Amino acid sequence: MKAEKKFRNFKLNVNFSMDNCYCVVLGPTGAGKSLLLETIAGILKPDKGKIVIDGEDVTKLPPEKRKIGFVPQDYALFPHMNVYKNIAYGIKDKEEKRKKVEEIAEKLGIFNLLDRKPATLSGGEKQRVALARALVIQPKLILLDEPLSAVDLRTKEKLMNELKFVHSEFKIPVIHVTHSLIEAVMLADEIAIMMNGKIVEKGEAKKILSSPSKDVADFLAVSNLFKKLNEIL
Amino acid sequence: MKLSFSIFLAILSSIIVIFILLPVVTTISVQFYDFNELTKAMSDKTVWDSIFLTYYAALISTLIAIIFGTPLAYILSRYDFRGKSIIEGIVDVPVVIPHTVAGIALLAVFGSNGLIGSFSPIKFVDALPGIVVAMLFVSIPIYLNTAKEGFTSVNLRLEQVARTLGASPAKVFFTISLPLVIRHIAAGAIMAWARAISEFGAVVVIAYYPMVAPTLIYERFLSTGLSAARPIAVILILLSLAVFVILRILLWNKKEQEV
Repeated sequence: MKAEKKFRNFKLNVNFSMDNCYCVVLGPTGAGKSLLLETIAGILKPDKGKIVIDGEDVTKLPPEKRKIGFVPQDYALFPHMNVYKNIAYGIKDKEEKRKKVEEIAEKLGIFNLLDRKPATLSGGEKQRVALARALVIQPKLILLDEPLSAVDLRTKEKLMNELKFVHSEFKIPVIHVTHSLIEAVMLADEIAIMMNGKIVEKGEAKKILSSPSKDVADFLAVSNLFKKLNEIL
Repeated sequence: MKLSFSIFLAILSSIIVIFILLPVVTTISVQFYDFNELTKAMSDKTVWDSIFLTYYAALISTLIAIIFGTPLAYILSRYDFRGKSIIEGIVDVPVVIPHTVAGIALLAVFGSNGLIGSFSPIKFVDALPGIVVAMLFVSIPIYLNTAKEGFTSVNLRLEQVARTLGASPAKVFFTISLPLVIRHIAAGAIMAWARAISEFGAVVVIAYYPMVAPTLIYERFLSTGLSAARPIAVILILLSLAVFVILRILLWNKKEQEV
C-alpha cells in the first residue's frame, strides 16, 4: 500500500507491502498507528495513494466491501448482542450461520460462551470473541490494534500464543499494531517501525531486531539492551 | 469545615426541592378539603374529553418527533459539516422564544391565510392538527437533544467494526446505533410528551378549541374562578404523575435487565 492522508496537524504518509506474514507495526503513542489501520480498513479515505489487497485496488471501496477483519483496542463487541450474535453479525449466508459460528467458536475455545453477553466476559474471552467475529467472514487480512495492551502479563503471554495459533491456523496475514517491543519480538515475522506518521524501517523481524538503526534503537529506548544482547549472542 | 459545607449544600438543595413540591402538594391537599368540587369535576365529561385530547395530541406530536427527529439527531451527532452550528441553533429556537410568540408564528404558516394553511386540505386552526403542530414545535428540541446525546454516547468503533464486517451504513444504523440508543430515545420521547401535555401558550393561540386540559383550566379560572379550575388541575397533576412514574419504572427495569 501507498497512502497519504493529511489531518489538521498530522500527516500520515506510508508506503509498504507485505506477504502472508505476521507483521508487527511498532511505534510510539501518537505515531499514527491507529490511523494507519483505519485507512487500511476503509474508515478513513486517503487523500492520495493506493491500497491494494490481494491484487485488488480497494482504495475507493467502503469498509463493508473490503473483507478486512478489524479488531480494535477495546474489541468493540456489540454490547446488546450475545456472543453468538456478535460472531454471526458478518455472516451473509443464513443457512450456514449456525454451523460457521459453532465451528469457529470451537476452534477458539469459546463454544461455552455463545449465550453470554460481552459485559460478562474477561479480557481474554473478549479478545477471542472479537477474533472469531473478524475471522468468520474469511477476511483477506486481519488488523489488530494494540490487542494486548489491556491485559496483565500472564494473560498477555497466553493471548500471544493464541494470536500465533490464529495466524498459523487460518493462514491470514496479520497487521498487529503496538508500542510493545515484547510483542514484536514474540510474534513478528516482519517488523515495521512507525514514527510521526511514517514507516521508517521495515524488514524481517530478525534483521530489524539484531541491528536496529540508531533512530529506531533510540525510540525503543533499548540501545544498550541491544548492545548487550549482541555481545552475548 | 467538611460537615458545615455538607449542611450548606443540603440547605440550598432542599430549598429548590421544596420550591417545586410545595405548590403542587398544596394544590392537591387543599382540594381534598373541597372534595365536592373534585367529584363534580371528575363526573364532568368536558374535563375528561379535554384530558384525553391533550394526551392524544401529545402522543401524535411525540411520534412525529421520533420519526423525523431521530435521523436529524443522528446526523448532528455523527457528522461535521458546514452550517452545523447554525442548524443546532435553529433547533433550539423554540426553547428561547415565548410560547405565545411561537403560536403566532405557527399561525402565520398554518393559519387559514397562512403559507401552508391557505391551501392545505387539513384544517389547523381550532382543530387537532393545530394542537399537534403547536405541541411539536415546543417539544421537539427536548427530544432532539436527548436523542443526540444518546448517539454521541455510542462508541464509534462499534459502528466502524460493523462496517468492516460487511454491513452497509443503513444496516449499521438499524442493528447497532439505534438499539444502543433506544433508552435515550424512550427517555427523550417521554420528556417531549410531557412537554407537549403541559403546553398552553402556543396551543391557545392556534387552537383555543377543541380545548386541551391547560386551556380548559384557564377558561374555568377566568369564567368561574379558582374553585372551578383547581379540581381539573389536580386531576391533571395526579394523572400525569401516575403516567410518568409508571413510564420511568418501565424504563428503569429495562436498564436493570441490560446490566
